[in-house]
Amino acid sequence: MHGLARFAPLLVVVAALSNLGLSQTTLNPDISVIPRFLIESNDGEKLSQGKREFSQPDFQFQELELVIQSYLNPFSRADVVLTLPGPDIEAASLGIEELYATVFRGLPLDLNLRFGKYRVEYGKLNLVHPHAWPFVTQPLSQTRFLGEEGLNDLGISASILLPTGDVYSRLTLDVLRGGTIEEAAGISDTSGSKPFYANSARLMGFFSLTDESDLEVGLSTLTGIHDPFHRDRFWYVNGDFKYKYKPSMYTALVLQGEYLYNTRSAAQDQAFQPFLDAAGNPEARTINSSGFYVYADYQFFKLYSLGARYDWSEAPYSNDDRTTGVSVFAGYYPVEETLGLRLEYQHFRTEAPGTATVVNTIVLQVLFSLGPHKAHPF
Amino acid sequence: MNRLLCFVLALASLSLSRADVRVVTSLPDLADFAQRIGGDKVKVDFIVKGNQNPHFVDVKPSYMMKLKSADIFFIIGMEFELWAPQLVDGSRNANLNVVDLSRAIQKMEVPAAVNAGMGDVHRYGNPHYWLDPRNIRIVAGEMVDALTKASPVDEAFFRGNAEAYLKKLDAKIVEWQAQMKPFAGSRIITFHKSWSYFANWLGLVIAGQVEPLPGIAPTPGHTSELIQLCRQGNIKAIIVEPFYDMSAPEQIARSTSAKVLQLPTSVGGVDGAEDYIALMDHNISTMAATLR
Repeated sequence: MHGLARFAPLLVVVAALSNLGLSQTTLNPDISVIPRFLIESNDGEKLSQGKREFSQPDFQFQELELVIQSYLNPFSRADVVLTLPGPDIEAASLGIEELYATVFRGLPLDLNLRFGKYRVEYGKLNLVHPHAWPFVTQPLSQTRFLGEEGLNDLGISASILLPTGDVYSRLTLDVLRGGTIEEAAGISDTSGSKPFYANSARLMGFFSLTDESDLEVGLSTLTGIHDPFHRDRFWYVNGDFKYKYKPSMYTALVLQGEYLYNTRSAAQDQAFQPFLDAAGNPEARTINSSGFYVYADYQFFKLYSLGARYDWSEAPYSNDDRTTGVSVFAGYYPVEETLGLRLEYQHFRTEAPGTATVVNTIVLQVLFSLGPHKAHPF
Repeated sequence: MNRLLCFVLALASLSLSRADVRVVTSLPDLADFAQRIGGDKVKVDFIVKGNQNPHFVDVKPSYMMKLKSADIFFIIGMEFELWAPQLVDGSRNANLNVVDLSRAIQKMEVPAAVNAGMGDVHRYGNPHYWLDPRNIRIVAGEMVDALTKASPVDEAFFRGNAEAYLKKLDAKIVEWQAQMKPFAGSRIITFHKSWSYFANWLGLVIAGQVEPLPGIAPTPGHTSELIQLCRQGNIKAIIVEPFYDMSAPEQIARSTSAKVLQLPTSVGGVDGAEDYIALMDHNISTMAATLR
């Protein structure tokens, strides 16, 4: 089916609601369309031929997000995020990135319950949709350990505010279908076994340091089965922080970072080659590896931003395979979040036993936001 | 034993009758009104500081904590606080009474239709109605009703406080009107459309805005047009809230005889504006001195 044609049923529903002649604010959900486009060039494509030259800038459709949000009743709301992934805008088909309901009011102990498919509250960046990142590309540690789509799974989530006085602190627990991490590693579950659930938890605290500055810190953990054939388990522990200093409506400084530690037992590496002992017999190994990113983003005159990010990451199945990267990025947002341009330069160096590769990339991202999609919380 | 029981019951009844109604307001101006009406029977806090732009507020968990333990949340309404629903939902407070104070306000500049091409236009009309002090009687009435609902035994106390405050405010309104009467018909420019109710009350004429459209940053072309307007239209003052960038207003002022006035729209916006009457005193006296 043609990708865009799959919007047709939705458009029919929207048109029908509009024709009722009733208040859109009471009947219709908020609908936003947020596409992102890229122009990219890098100098790594001909390295295998011994040449280092920047490729011809390539126009790409990166992704379209269709966000539908509304209250279901006074106690709950629903969020739907449909995505049309790039790069082929004509051939792509619409997928469900998120589809969940949240009961945010009226439960005992002020419990907040969520069920469906959603971006899991694991770390800080995972909750933020890519259009709201100040940079173009996902931090490397997130890509390697969580996958290009981040930790996004079917599940049930419960969160509770902790009795910590005036300090906002929240504990969130998730039971997930599992499978996201193995998919990130390129493993398809053809074992036919029962699903192996994943479990996630995050404890966060928010501190208002001054009238102009705030700090959020969080500690997350995730465990599940990464290899359904051998039933091998992984454990992630993730520490995150975000500091924001906003002295005026025109100026803001954000510092954010996350460190992820991975430990897993594994019978094979990421290329599905079994680990062998000295005698050549298969053996299970315990792999400990980690990754982190940290960035600074400075907004000035309300319209502009400048920032830099440092990435360092090992691989889920190896701590010999590591990449370091420096990115600098600039943003221009002429009218709030409705239109944005981001220019980013990346310098990534990947080292594996016996090899080292350096790739430089320049990318320009253009995006717009049509509709009332709300700003992400702090 | 009976005496002891009576003493304990009396203490309990005293503590019950003095139980605080916990109030949070979006603006400090509303906090001032709530405090004056509620007296020592309310505990009041607010979200936006007077020197912040109330249109753009970060959705912070610390604000959710304020609402978590509140009984009433007073808001300006008319979608002025677009950030408020996220705070209310995030507070997880099922008993929070969110009171829209705009319900009985006679609204100005209600658009026939709205789209994003018109800038940040409020579809229910201009929400800056608290800058016309005559509207505070309506605001106070809504507050008395909400506080009474939260603590019915204190209704007379709330009504008495409200009437006393409104009497004082009425006297100030007469004074402010007399102060500004010589300047009725004066033409001014404002940065944002925050001053429509204020100008309507005092008979001032708003000839233009520094923003080309609501919420849109000044452009060189529009600034140039305003310079021409000032030269031709006898504009004496350009009113700018303290949180806006002064570059464009100052550029206009340098090229014309108009003066830039930094006037706060909320309590705490400048030193000395520690309550609503002091805020209006500051704004009226500053404007009268400029227009003279």
